[in-house]
Amino acid sequence: MTDWLDPLPWLIVLPLVWGTLAFVLGPGRGARLAIVALVLQMLLALQLAAQLVDAGARAYAVGGWGAPLGIDLYADGLAAVMLLLTQAVALPLAVYARGYFAATTKGRDLFWPITGLMLAALNALFVSADLFNIYVTLELLGLAAVGLVAIAGGTAPVTAALRYLLATLLGSGAYLLGVALIYGTYGSVSLEVLAPLITDEAPFAVTLAAALMLLGLMLKTALFPFHFWLPPAHGGAPAPVSALLSALVIKASFYLVVRLWLDLFEPLTTVDAAQLIGALGAAAIIWGSLLALTQTRLKMLVAYSTVAQIGYLFLLFPLATLTLPAAADSALQGGVMQALAHGLAKAAMFAAAGSMIVATGRDDINRLGGVGARLPLTLFTFGMAGVTLMGLPPSGGFSAKWLLLQAALESGQWWWVAVMVVGGLLTAAYVFKVLRRAFLPVAEGDSVTPVPRVLEFSAFALALASILLGVFGAPLMDLLAVGRGA
Amino acid sequence: MRRVLPVAIVALAALFGVALAAAMLELPPHAVRLPDDVAANIAASGVAHPITAVLLNFRGYDTLLEIAVLLLALFGVLALVKPHAARAAHPAHPLLQTLARLLAPLMVLVAGYLLWVGAIAPGGAFQAGAVLAAAGVLLRLAGLLPAWVAPTLLLRVGLALGLLVFVAVAAAVLGHATLLTYPPALAGGLILMVEAALTLSIGLTLAALYLASTEVRP
Repeated sequence: MTDWLDPLPWLIVLPLVWGTLAFVLGPGRGARLAIVALVLQMLLALQLAAQLVDAGARAYAVGGWGAPLGIDLYADGLAAVMLLLTQAVALPLAVYARGYFAATTKGRDLFWPITGLMLAALNALFVSADLFNIYVTLELLGLAAVGLVAIAGGTAPVTAALRYLLATLLGSGAYLLGVALIYGTYGSVSLEVLAPLITDEAPFAVTLAAALMLLGLMLKTALFPFHFWLPPAHGGAPAPVSALLSALVIKASFYLVVRLWLDLFEPLTTVDAAQLIGALGAAAIIWGSLLALTQTRLKMLVAYSTVAQIGYLFLLFPLATLTLPAAADSALQGGVMQALAHGLAKAAMFAAAGSMIVATGRDDINRLGGVGARLPLTLFTFGMAGVTLMGLPPSGGFSAKWLLLQAALESGQWWWVAVMVVGGLLTAAYVFKVLRRAFLPVAEGDSVTPVPRVLEFSAFALALASILLGVFGAPLMDLLAVGRGA
Repeated sequence: MRRVLPVAIVALAALFGVALAAAMLELPPHAVRLPDDVAANIAASGVAHPITAVLLNFRGYDTLLEIAVLLLALFGVLALVKPHAARAAHPAHPLLQTLARLLAPLMVLVAGYLLWVGAIAPGGAFQAGAVLAAAGVLLRLAGLLPAWVAPTLLLRVGLALGLLVFVAVAAAVLGHATLLTYPPALAGGLILMVEAALTLSIGLTLAALYLASTEVRP
């Protein structure tokens, strides 16, 4: 397709350009440019999704050479769903961030340039069909995320950013070593070329490469026990940054784990390895939720909630590996639905938490009294996002957990059901811990100042989307099936 | 515990090293011969040197994103700098200043040569940019350049120029072909143009990484 308006290249070019232009414009500038560009990106992502539903998955040869000499892009349903999530989260958050940085200027200077490049990295990552190109997008994404954690300045954020940098570099280093082993074995890094070459009789180097790449990506996704870097990084950054990181950045490495596990390394996967990954996911759900319950800072609670919710994503693997096709299908749908629901809900929750912190002037759950009376919409947003995280109907989180439960029952793995039920109860406990405090009257000596309306409405839009996802999720699941054989 | 941990780490690392060595020893012959592909297509790439052809043409998309990585690294450094913390340059020894004044123009000349020669021999934008950046660092050390803690508009344009030109060239063909397809007749000229812009921006970015980061305060 050589249409001027082919959405696939523009989804990468556009954020690259507006991010760079925002830097040229100067410190703190570029918010309006970003919002206009994000509206266009949303339309492009929708157009791409419509094209895929009509015409099926498509490859795109950058430079016209084609793999293995050149680099190919590949857009299928899974990629399109993630692209939609990215633009759908980024657009309301950009509106939110514009209001947020008008209220607090800390960290404003480089927010827009770094965010632009980060979105370019995300979009490029989702459609890349080349192992080395994926590494480049991972580096772009990781450095952008670290930069965003550091923009607020001060000792704690910079310490968190440095710890995050070391973790993310170790993760990409392991991934790159895996890519080198694969290139050493086959002489190519193109997914399309490699897919038929990797069989269950592949040399040991390929097994080692698969283990390194998957471990590196799990470290970047902060799967338990690799979650140590996440809470200080996500909890310490400015609210729009926390939202972007929790909603999108960790989903990118999760997406790659799914891609590699289900497609490229599928011949090498074993039930034992899948059960181990599932067990780490289960441990993440329990451990993350328990730690969320013990937090006294609001954003740290939300950050530990991310650690727990990441666990659900990884339940996909035991449920989809060497089980019945029906169970595997629901497992993939459930895992992807969880990525979407958590993306929207966690963005809403961090945004709402940010508004509460701006309003009360401090990040302390025990001092939230009065928020319910003064910021009802924000508190409602927090509650709605909580409903999605708990997995109550009719939210997207409910659909996700329902699909995962269905897969667990169909594949006879009842133990994951128990984990999900306990996780849901613990989630309810930490969400209500916040809500209960927020409904109390203002404490003596505290004050709750109103926040700009735009902060409240943009966060509400995200929470509403996370609920509507459950009602209108079916077309997305049809889109997900594009290019997946079944 | 304190004793056990380092031992365990060393043991694990050794085990991993052995596994890696074992994996390398049994590598099969490559199923895909990329160097042959490169040789077969180099005539159409617009340059004669295979590395430049891979970096700017065959896998130019990787390079495009790597330029963004470089710019991003600078954003990260700038995020850590407090603008009011900028120190005036230390006046260096007059001999060093004279030397820097003599060397800097020569380094610009060398950068230009490396850029030009990249089409046929080892060289190109990264090498040329690195030499430019070295000139910037030398001038700073000699006390002849101020710290770049808050880049001016002109400097920001220079820093962004390489990426913007590269993206513009990549997207200019979108009506007729895929992203980053050079029309064969123009490939050589376009690659030189992209590399020239990249040399400037890479040089400025690498220099800025140093000229800004010397001002980072805890």
